[in-house]
Amino acid sequence: MAAPIRLSVPGTLRYRPIAVRAVAEAARLVSCSVQPDPRDPSADPLTIDVRHPFDTAVVSAFMEIFNNVVIHAYQRRGGGMIDLEITLANDGIVIEITDSGRPFDIDNVTPLPTDLDEESLPEGGMGIHIAKTMLDDMTYEPGPPNLWRLYKRLPAAQVAVGRS
Amino acid sequence: MPPFEVQRTSDLTTLTVRGSLDINSAPALAEEIDQIVASRPGRVVVDLSTLDLIDSSGVAALVKLYKGIRNAGGSMTISGARDQPLAIFKLLRMDKVFNL
Repeated sequence: MAAPIRLSVPGTLRYRPIAVRAVAEAARLVSCSVQPDPRDPSADPLTIDVRHPFDTAVVSAFMEIFNNVVIHAYQRRGGGMIDLEITLANDGIVIEITDSGRPFDIDNVTPLPTDLDEESLPEGGMGIHIAKTMLDDMTYEPGPPNLWRLYKRLPAAQVAVGRS
Repeated sequence: MPPFEVQRTSDLTTLTVRGSLDINSAPALAEEIDQIVASRPGRVVVDLSTLDLIDSSGVAALVKLYKGIRNAGGSMTISGARDQPLAIFKLLRMDKVFNL
C-alpha cells in the first residue's frame, strides 16, 4: 500500500475544485482509467475525467461530503480547514475527511422517497444518499474533529486484471 | 465558452449546460432558470451532452426548473446525459421521470 496522499484546504467552496481534482486523480490511479491524450487538441486539460465507474463513484461521493462539511460543519463561513487523507490500494481507495466545525447529525438525515414521481422529486437532501449509495462503506465520527471515512472497492475482476 | 446557454425559437427553449453543474455553479444557473420559467415556455429541452459532472445542488437546480415548467403548463425533457451525470440521475431514480 502506498503512503497516503495528504491535502489541507480552507473549508470554503472556493477551494472545492482543488480538492475534487485531487480526489479524481487519486481515483484514476487506482482504477487505471485511460488518461486523455495531451496531444489531442480537442481535449480540455481542465476537464475532470471521471468516466470510469469507479472514478464516478469516488468523486460523486466526495463532492457531496465536501459540500456537507462546508455547509453544515462550517456553516458556509469557513473558519477552519478540511484535511484529506487519501490512501490508495490495489483493490480500492480510502478517503478520510476531517474538519473542526460543528458535528453533523447524520442520524437525522431524511431518506429519499422510494417511489419518485413528478410530485415527489426532491430539491434537497440528496447528498448523503448519493455518497452512501456510491460507496461500499461510509462512516462518520462526530467530534470535533469530525471524521468522514469513505471506502470504495474496485470490482474484483479489475483487481485480478491489475495483478496479472 | 459560458457554462450555460439558452436558445429560444417560437416553440422551443433549449438550455445547454456544460462542464460541471455543482454547488459553485448552480446559483448562477438558478438565475437563468428563474428567467426561463418566467417566460412560460411551452417546451424546454435541457441539453446535458457536454456536462461532465453534477452534484446534488446541480440536480436540485434542474428539478426546480422541471417543476417550474410543469407548473406553468409546459414540458421539459433532458437530452444527452452521459457518464457521471447519468449515473447520478439513475441513482436518484430520476431517470424514469426525466425519460433518460
